[in-house]
Amino acid sequence: MMGMGVFLDSTMGRYWRVLATGFAFIVFGLGALVISITVLPVLRLTAVGKTTPRRRIQYAIHLILKAYVGFMRSLGLLTYEVTDIERLWVPGQLIIANHPTLIDVVFLISLMPRVDCIVKQGLWRHPFLRWPIIWGSYIPNRMGEELVADCAAVLRAGHSLLIFPEGTRSSPGQPLRMQRGAAHIALAAGVNILPVTIEVSEATLTKGYPWYRVPRRRPHFRIKVGEPLPPSVYNPDRRSGVLPARRLSKFFLKYYAAVDAQNQSWLP
Amino acid sequence: MTIKTREEVFDHLRDTLVELFEIDADKINLQAQLYTDLDIDSIDAVDLLLKLKEFTGQKIKPQQFKHVRTVGDVVDAVMNILATAHA
Repeated sequence: MMGMGVFLDSTMGRYWRVLATGFAFIVFGLGALVISITVLPVLRLTAVGKTTPRRRIQYAIHLILKAYVGFMRSLGLLTYEVTDIERLWVPGQLIIANHPTLIDVVFLISLMPRVDCIVKQGLWRHPFLRWPIIWGSYIPNRMGEELVADCAAVLRAGHSLLIFPEGTRSSPGQPLRMQRGAAHIALAAGVNILPVTIEVSEATLTKGYPWYRVPRRRPHFRIKVGEPLPPSVYNPDRRSGVLPARRLSKFFLKYYAAVDAQNQSWLP
Repeated sequence: MTIKTREEVFDHLRDTLVELFEIDADKINLQAQLYTDLDIDSIDAVDLLLKLKEFTGQKIKPQQFKHVRTVGDVVDAVMNILATAHA
């Protein structure tokens, strides 16, 4: 008898994965709509204050995405492993990650019961995602001093914050680039940075490629949570101004160079 | 203040970029693109304008740098500012 993994990597299995990917997208979009008019407003309206509903809704989104990741796996779309997951649960950290695929944020939120997120501004106009984003009070990535100050305040209040320092998914065939926002936020808040690397065994849901171009084999996601980086390491001389932010962004580039090269090597 | 040549302005700009942003001096030439080659973003640009204000001794309006893309463009903009100041 043919094993499931072998089937999924075969030509037939590939057709299955195209169908299943389309189905998963539909479930995601409809699911986002349904929770936006049921669970999320109920959670918001039954909670008192400003922080409580936000936390509750983010926790609900975490649970839903956790189920969704399990759903994608049971459809045979992907496999994954996570190392040192418990490091993600320490509060008040700036969590950064490389951004090879469309579903990186789905994975990361599924691993963290409470996290604030910086979300690309364009998604506020997204037909399915805008409401969960609004209900969850996620933060838009309009660049500027205000964003840096807001995010630093969130971190200093003891909440962890997730940001992709690249600002958007990695561009295939292009050198890795970092926006400097993540570095500015870390420096302004003076909190630990927790770097996560996302390694994908196949090119999947890559920027600029349509969803139905599924990889030849079922992709495996390897999510590695790194060692936390304290301010005493990333800004030892406690400098202010633009220089430490440039240095820190350079460090991010170096940190993610290897995994980016690895992910890019799978591109068709 | 004495009139400065283009070379003097460029040399000063290169030294400023090295000191302010730790950019590799070899990467700085007149054709270098500020954003793509030297990785100077809008927050960096604010600091650079402050330094150029000190250098020229003139008020600088951000509009004067609106169309600046390369190091050469910055040199031209500074030359313009200096020329206007001496006119």
